[in-house]
Amino acid sequence: MAQPPHPLLPPNDHSSGGAPLPPAWADRLLRLFCPEDLQEELLGDLHEQFEQQVVELGEPTARRLYVGQVIRFCRPYFIIRQLRARPMPENPYSSPFFLSPLMIRNYLKIALRIVRKDNTFTLINLAGLATGLAVALLIVQYVRFELSYEKTNPLANQIVRLTMDYLNGETVDAQDAETYNPIGPKAKREMNEVVNYTRAKPFSKRLTIQLGDTYSVVDKALAVDSSFFSMFNYPLIRGSRNHLFTRPRQAVLTKTMALTYFKTLDVVGKTLKISRPENSILLEIVGVVPDSPINTHLKFDMVFSYPTLQADFGQKEEDWNGNNLYTYLQLAENTDYTKFTKSLSAFSNRLLQEKKITNERVIGQKIGDIHLYSHKTYEIEPNGDAKSVYFLMGVAFLVLLSAFVNYVNLTTAKALDRAKEVGMRKVIGSTLAQIRAQIFLETVLINGIAGALAVGLVAALRSVFIEVAGLPDGFTVFGDIFFWESLVVFLVLSSCLSGIYPAFVLSSFEPITVLKGNLSRSTKGLFLRKSLAVFQLTITLILLIQTFTVYQQVAFLRKQNLGLRMDHTLVVKAPVGANSEQAYESFRQMLLSQSQVRSVAYSNTVPGLESSQMGTSTGINLSDAVKKTYYNYYLTPIDTSFIDLMGIQLLAGKNFDATTRYGLSDTTDRQLIVNEETLRLWEIPTPQQAIGKRVDLWGHQATIRGVVKNYHYESPKSAFIPIILLYSPHFSSFASVKFAGGNAEEHLATLKRIYEANFPHSPFSYFFLDSEYDKQYKADDRFQQVFSSLTGFAILISCLGLFGLATFTVSKRTKEIGIRKVIGASTTNLLVLLSKDFIRTVWLSILIGLPVTYFLVNNWLANYATRIELSWWLFAGPALLVFLLVLLSIGSKTIASALMNPVNSLRSE
Amino acid sequence: MSRTYLGEFEELVLLTVAILNGSAYGLNIADELKQRTHRSINLSGVHVALYRLEDKGFVKSELGGATAARGGRRKRLFSITAYGKQTLDELRQVRNDLWEAIPNLSFS
Repeated sequence: MAQPPHPLLPPNDHSSGGAPLPPAWADRLLRLFCPEDLQEELLGDLHEQFEQQVVELGEPTARRLYVGQVIRFCRPYFIIRQLRARPMPENPYSSPFFLSPLMIRNYLKIALRIVRKDNTFTLINLAGLATGLAVALLIVQYVRFELSYEKTNPLANQIVRLTMDYLNGETVDAQDAETYNPIGPKAKREMNEVVNYTRAKPFSKRLTIQLGDTYSVVDKALAVDSSFFSMFNYPLIRGSRNHLFTRPRQAVLTKTMALTYFKTLDVVGKTLKISRPENSILLEIVGVVPDSPINTHLKFDMVFSYPTLQADFGQKEEDWNGNNLYTYLQLAENTDYTKFTKSLSAFSNRLLQEKKITNERVIGQKIGDIHLYSHKTYEIEPNGDAKSVYFLMGVAFLVLLSAFVNYVNLTTAKALDRAKEVGMRKVIGSTLAQIRAQIFLETVLINGIAGALAVGLVAALRSVFIEVAGLPDGFTVFGDIFFWESLVVFLVLSSCLSGIYPAFVLSSFEPITVLKGNLSRSTKGLFLRKSLAVFQLTITLILLIQTFTVYQQVAFLRKQNLGLRMDHTLVVKAPVGANSEQAYESFRQMLLSQSQVRSVAYSNTVPGLESSQMGTSTGINLSDAVKKTYYNYYLTPIDTSFIDLMGIQLLAGKNFDATTRYGLSDTTDRQLIVNEETLRLWEIPTPQQAIGKRVDLWGHQATIRGVVKNYHYESPKSAFIPIILLYSPHFSSFASVKFAGGNAEEHLATLKRIYEANFPHSPFSYFFLDSEYDKQYKADDRFQQVFSSLTGFAILISCLGLFGLATFTVSKRTKEIGIRKVIGASTTNLLVLLSKDFIRTVWLSILIGLPVTYFLVNNWLANYATRIELSWWLFAGPALLVFLLVLLSIGSKTIASALMNPVNSLRSE
Repeated sequence: MSRTYLGEFEELVLLTVAILNGSAYGLNIADELKQRTHRSINLSGVHVALYRLEDKGFVKSELGGATAARGGRRKRLFSITAYGKQTLDELRQVRNDLWEAIPNLSFS
């Protein structure tokens, strides 16, 4: 039953003046969704209901209900009815084509047909785009995480960490992240820009908590000033901010730590006992704060009040002798950073004049820069590296770009197949814009499917990626709104980049030429296609050479002669609490009485731990030195068997022996063993000449007793450091136990039994020396893994693209090949003919790629103190590999068609 | 018995149209149903049901005159057709037969 069309009355034409009206946007929504001929009555009913409800329920409720009603009207029935009513408007040409449901339906149908018809190409396109998108999404998440450090702190821009530069004349010898404890308060007193300061003294794995009979080591503890909580944005979940951390022996726990130790958050007023060899400290818990965010450099499980250091740790207030805590300053709002830098440098000069510091300089760094850019010694946690973060991001985008190249190349190559369709459409009356929109829609469709696949891929790769990239446990992917935002951005980007060019190519066919059927194999777009292929192969080659180099370099580092022997060695941490000399000695003797134990050594640190585990001191010099040096010397006490056990080579002089008087207690004659690097800095030409030389050690005299060959305390990545060994027979930090081969499990059991017999109250904590040392390669390993998997994806994508192109070329030339065969071409002739183009592409990309890579690789290797020499095969190998890969990707198709019986190819029409 | 399928809600709406015969339109049908059945009635649902009934030929409709209320918009007034009335009768007959076929009606 047809209703005559009614002119729509404006909604408030006859309404009584001043009466409330429902939201106009809801009416617009209704008009969009409801068939035109029904709008009047529906709006009428809705408005009438609204008027009733205003009276009954009041205007706000009525408005809300009205919107709800309108939304319920957007139901399939009306939409379908509207779509059905659509094709017969008065003027059929007036509606814009992209809103015409019929045309859109047609476009979708054709797109789906093409997708189905050519499943090889669809598969290649989808696989390429999906992998590229997934890789880019994951890397972008990773990069965002690395860049997000300290972003959760609203004051981050105002907080500056002070650090020390060690100067040698004008050159900087070392940069230390830790500062002297009086600097913070002094800076606040003397600099106008500074409104607040906090110090943080780290106690990483150095505090043992005794709870009943159990001992446990706190992973990360800090001693801080009271302003710490406001500066680093830690609200108190329990406890109050008043008088917080003004007295000694106050502690604040994180939520997790409170729950672990007390199973409840209501811990205020409870106490924690810190057990130390010298004394035990009872800390009163005064508050609970949320856990540290995973993206801050200053993480902790527990903080305790700074005054505790003075009360129980023997810290003096004005102590300019050791710099071993971090100092953070809060600047006044809107402080000009360059101005602050100037006044800081004046402050630093004042400290020099007051003789508080010598040959040092205080500089500041914004805390937001610490994670990626700091790289000083004594950092609280290993830093990330801005260079490799941006590098990986660049690579990920190249991989994505490579996927776009595939799409563009395959679509334009196949454009000829669709020439007839385009010609037909034009004849019927399609405009250029319509055809472009159609092709673009197809790209959007393919990209949409690829996006869905990419999300699946990300879900599959997520856990592997988190592990390989070394991201922390709390890292989320899908929970992060940014992930979905970046997905949308990528899809838009990839639709545009991969859709616009094919749309223009396809829409450019002349209907007459196309429909007459004499469209020859056009060379249009061939140049672009070839350059894109060259570009793609060049990227692949560059990445491959980089991967080879990274791999070689990491392998090279591992092969280095470390100057140490670390096999079959277990290291035990020293027991807590006060233990007698006899206990240490009996532990050693009991171990040595075991048949499998070769040797036992006590030392303050062992190789493979960060150098910050060692004490450092600047400005140790020969007593008769003419020119004083201000290097950072690394000092560590060892016992008599350490050098032997570690396999360190003694070049001259003698090892420590039982008659050596120990450590620093001896004020008359301290005995030192130094390494070659120290000799180099002191300008002593041969080890022999060093023996017996007198050294100034903190105002006391010491004698060089022996010289050892340089050994890699840290991984060979870093240069040799000047090491000075002192003598101490105490089990102060670590005991290294070397076994004579055999079963590690058994050794561990033996060691544990003897340890517990001697130190019953201490937690047994151990590690294998060689695997602990290996951990230093972790960052390189990770970089190598992430990088090589990216390269793998890049190779996969470009091989897919080449395979697609080869398939297409061959299928277009089937007949030609048949004729050539009939005339007498050999299989080899045909293979050469078919692969000539591709091989030229490879040559070109090698030509472009090699110089670029040479530059990049050299740049990367410059980071390493010990590095491989670049040899020709590092470049030739990957080039050959790319060559083979290309042959392989195009081979199966070309060989098959070259071998085909010409009868078949000539008969096929 | 072959006739067009009539859903439960459609049946209720059709009955209401019969009650309000001649003056039935979307909103007062919804109000009437709300009152009689104590269900929450959705205006859009009533409209869809009405259009479906019209498609099936159970009701017919015409546009009423404009009034000052509801922004001067006209109402579509529904009335039941003979075919609709017949269908309701048949439905009622089927129900009655079914009720009588229940053997022992006890509400213990």
